[in-house]
Amino acid sequence: MKKAFLLIILALTAGCLQAQNQSAGSNKFVVYGNAEAVYTATKDESGFGDINFKPIFLWKISDKLFAEAETEIETGEGEVSLGLEYANMCYIVNPHLILHAGRFLPKFGAYRGRMGEAFINRFAADPVGFGDGGIGAMNETGVGALGGIPIGDVKLNYDVYVSNGPQLLTDSENAGQFEYEAYITNNKSSAVGGRLAILPFANSSLELGYSFQHKSKTGDAGSDYENIGVTMQAVDMNFFQNIPGIKSTLRILGELKHQKTDNATYNKNGGTPLNFNNVSTAYYTCVSIRPSLVDNNFVRNLELAGRYSYFKRPVDAPWGGSNLRQFEAALDYWLHWNCVVKICYLKQKDEPSIFNAQVVFGF
Amino acid sequence: MKKSIIVFGFTFLSASFILITNGCYESKKVADKSGAQLWAENCSRCHSAPGPGEFNNDNWDIVGTHMQVRANITGTDEKKIIDFLKGTNTP
Repeated sequence: MKKAFLLIILALTAGCLQAQNQSAGSNKFVVYGNAEAVYTATKDESGFGDINFKPIFLWKISDKLFAEAETEIETGEGEVSLGLEYANMCYIVNPHLILHAGRFLPKFGAYRGRMGEAFINRFAADPVGFGDGGIGAMNETGVGALGGIPIGDVKLNYDVYVSNGPQLLTDSENAGQFEYEAYITNNKSSAVGGRLAILPFANSSLELGYSFQHKSKTGDAGSDYENIGVTMQAVDMNFFQNIPGIKSTLRILGELKHQKTDNATYNKNGGTPLNFNNVSTAYYTCVSIRPSLVDNNFVRNLELAGRYSYFKRPVDAPWGGSNLRQFEAALDYWLHWNCVVKICYLKQKDEPSIFNAQVVFGF
Repeated sequence: MKKSIIVFGFTFLSASFILITNGCYESKKVADKSGAQLWAENCSRCHSAPGPGEFNNDNWDIVGTHMQVRANITGTDEKKIIDFLKGTNTP
């Protein structure tokens, strides 16, 4: 079934790619996306892996109607897996308000769904706490409103949504963690979330955001855990500036996420009760510099980046334990605005260092 | 907690509604920005800016709307940026 579905998607993609340069009618359709390949080496093992292919289907049905969908075909788990990242239908009410419904990438922080995209991220891996196994909203199914509002020199970006929200996991290995990307709901409760960001400078070089999501009931309907609530908050920053003195573009990114889950008693293997204070925090900060203003074509496509990330997990949780810290340095070469080769070295607390290389082609 | 969420949500929605219906205004400095300037400023917020000539006119329309959704670019700015990029394509 999965293979058949995969073939249909590939056939559809091929057909669309062939048709996308034709110009006729007002209903416009195109396929973009990116492909990624990673090489990883530690002191014990090395090899190529984690091939991702992510076509994005975009339809501009009319000036008011727009639909976007992204599929993910990945090999990271050792076999081909297929996922629906988003399928979002948008109604453009006016230049400052868009209503949308479907499966979408919530603006919870700025990393997931935006700065973490492979053709934007300067590193081959996610910061700790920001990728799979991390915290914070990731994919949502529901409805929302978003837009940008100019106020003098300043601009405000807003997103609000109501969605199915995260689902509490209660099995012995993941007790107290969440499924953030569920396709269907597990009870009658909905999550409410949003992000408010301010761009205080007229040139949009700085963006400061605050995100929020709350769901009062996250457990399966009828279970002992149904009434366990969760509250998540995030603050994020994105600053970039061309500095003519050093003929370079400087970018500074940062984000902090905090998640608090109501206390509950879970069961360890063998039925032993398990209680812990289910509070997690993750943050990262990243600086990159690219000599984008120099004349030499080779040099201006280079970019140097450094990132520190930290993930504070509940000590007694089965998925918790010690806090995680990582420092990663990267040297990137930009082949095109959305195609990049990354060479990365990752050093982490209590774990072996990792060498990563990644090739990303946007198309 | 519930109360604070309701207060937050109500304040946020009320402020948004008032701003959307009455308060959206740009300073002259912002309103006078060219499509080229907005292209450089807005695209670079997240990624390297795709160059003029990267897409055909129809595809620029689609990409512009996608960015309105993904990056909260206002419809006014999006139109200026896309008009600039279309203008650089050979007719």
